[in-house]
Amino acid sequence: MSGALDPALEANPLGMRGIEFIEYLSRHPEELGGVLAQIGFRLIARHRSREVFLYRQGPVNIIINADPVALSTLAHPEEDNQISAVAIRVADANQAYERCMQWGAWPIPTRAGAMELNIPGIHGVGDSIIYLVDHRRNFSIYDVDFDYLTDERKVEPITPGLHVFGVVQYINPDRSAEWIDFYAQLLGFRALPPETHFGILPHGTILQSPCARFYLQLVEPVGDALYDTEWYEQFARLAFGVPDVPGAVRILEARGVPFQDNAFIRPDCHGAITAAMSHDVNFEFVRHTAPDEDQEGAP
Amino acid sequence: MNRESFGIDLACMAGPLEERLAAAEAAGFSQVMLWARDLANHPRGYEAAARLVRESKLRVAGLQLMRNYEGMSGPAHEYKLDIVKALLDVCVDVNAPLLLVCASAAAGHQHDPSRAEADLRKLANLAVPTGVRVGFKAIPWGRSISDTRSAWDLVYRVDHANLGLVLDSFHFIAGGHPLEVLNDIPPEKISLVQLADFSVPVFQERGERNADHMRVFPGDGVLHDSVAAFVRHVDWLGYEGDYSLLVFNEDYRQLPAHAVARLGARSMAWVNTQVLRRRLPMNRLRAV
Repeated sequence: MSGALDPALEANPLGMRGIEFIEYLSRHPEELGGVLAQIGFRLIARHRSREVFLYRQGPVNIIINADPVALSTLAHPEEDNQISAVAIRVADANQAYERCMQWGAWPIPTRAGAMELNIPGIHGVGDSIIYLVDHRRNFSIYDVDFDYLTDERKVEPITPGLHVFGVVQYINPDRSAEWIDFYAQLLGFRALPPETHFGILPHGTILQSPCARFYLQLVEPVGDALYDTEWYEQFARLAFGVPDVPGAVRILEARGVPFQDNAFIRPDCHGAITAAMSHDVNFEFVRHTAPDEDQEGAP
Repeated sequence: MNRESFGIDLACMAGPLEERLAAAEAAGFSQVMLWARDLANHPRGYEAAARLVRESKLRVAGLQLMRNYEGMSGPAHEYKLDIVKALLDVCVDVNAPLLLVCASAAAGHQHDPSRAEADLRKLANLAVPTGVRVGFKAIPWGRSISDTRSAWDLVYRVDHANLGLVLDSFHFIAGGHPLEVLNDIPPEKISLVQLADFSVPVFQERGERNADHMRVFPGDGVLHDSVAAFVRHVDWLGYEGDYSLLVFNEDYRQLPAHAVARLGARSMAWVNTQVLRRRLPMNRLRAV
């Protein structure tokens, strides 16, 4: 295995290159779609045969999956909206999948995926899937399964420089080290020093993707969270990066987006977090500038 | 150490699963170690057995037992991977936080020790999304991992937070190892400590059957001083995890579950006393 000695391959074993899309499973697709529209996303395509919708803003793709079969497989059926998949761009999806299998990943759970296109995936936290999408492909993965509403493919972001910053993952108490090793060994993530913080929420361990284009924040329950809410391991929240948080907050507040503003959490220049918008969905905005290529727009 | 950290392995007792669970609870145990076979073989079926466990007041300490996992080559590895995944699913069904894996004793032609590290790393990763930790244990008849020192060496090299080491006082003492062997092991890397005493003073462990009927509850055997020293040493290392009584012999197998559970409870009290005896002076100092 000559590749094992290649430092670039060691540091980024899957050839990872950012996030292709985030998928929400939703019992209220229209309402969640309305929330996305409020923060600047536009519905650009519908799935040809299922209740699945593609929203886009700048380089960010969000899929709302309201397929009844997919919803019926949720381990927590009381959830109205849940981040059910994160699709990662990799150099070669099949090779990446094989490497994940060798290092200890579960094959994709059998549920009606958003795509009929055969995208390999592995079992992530909770019910979620981590899809592996070829970033060197010469066609859009959406063209296969979706009908576009218009010829428009690009959606100018209403908040300049918007991109995916990362995903917050809730984990059970004392499980940080296990998840750090999981993401490091399977996908090549690197835990940043404990004093590293982005945004306004001080808790959690931040993992940097090997392509340095996005982050995962592992959050264990703090204080009474275990008793106050039903806490379980899941992808809990999507975070967007914007170079100018106060500017983004002004634009979004003018569109009626509510932000948490209380004694503990309030918008500042580092970050902001929306109030619950539709059945407990909220979004975080983090001061962060996109790596150059992301700003070129969606494929 | 307190009652909360003490459990009894259901293999100690005879009888139906529900009777053994009830006996453990009535005797004052707060947790039990389960065996996958007890769930699969239950007369009312697996689902009913898993429900019995979930609905009992007992915490599940872990699930026994994955055998001959690491170091298998070719199709044998793929086969074992399917088995261990199915056991992880069982862990999820009964809320077992730990899957016990004992070192491979597979026949030589199937065994490739150079794969052991990668195989255990793979299992440690597989278990993360299920919320289950993996505890690896040496057995004296293991093909290449036959004592605590070599098992720790392997766990250390795998270097995954989701993989720890299971200690068994019976194997450790029978192997004649000095307690100092344990000093290199960080207490947080010990997943579980299994305890048993000896019905005979000296013997050679040659296999599972040979070792099976020599175990008695800690304090009831001829090597209780060694068991006490072992427990005190593990406690001194800073271990704060669970203890599980793992005892089976011909006598206990012909007794009703409640009688064995009561003997186990007496043994639990004895073990606590052994540790408390060492801790008391410190407690007195603090009180002054």
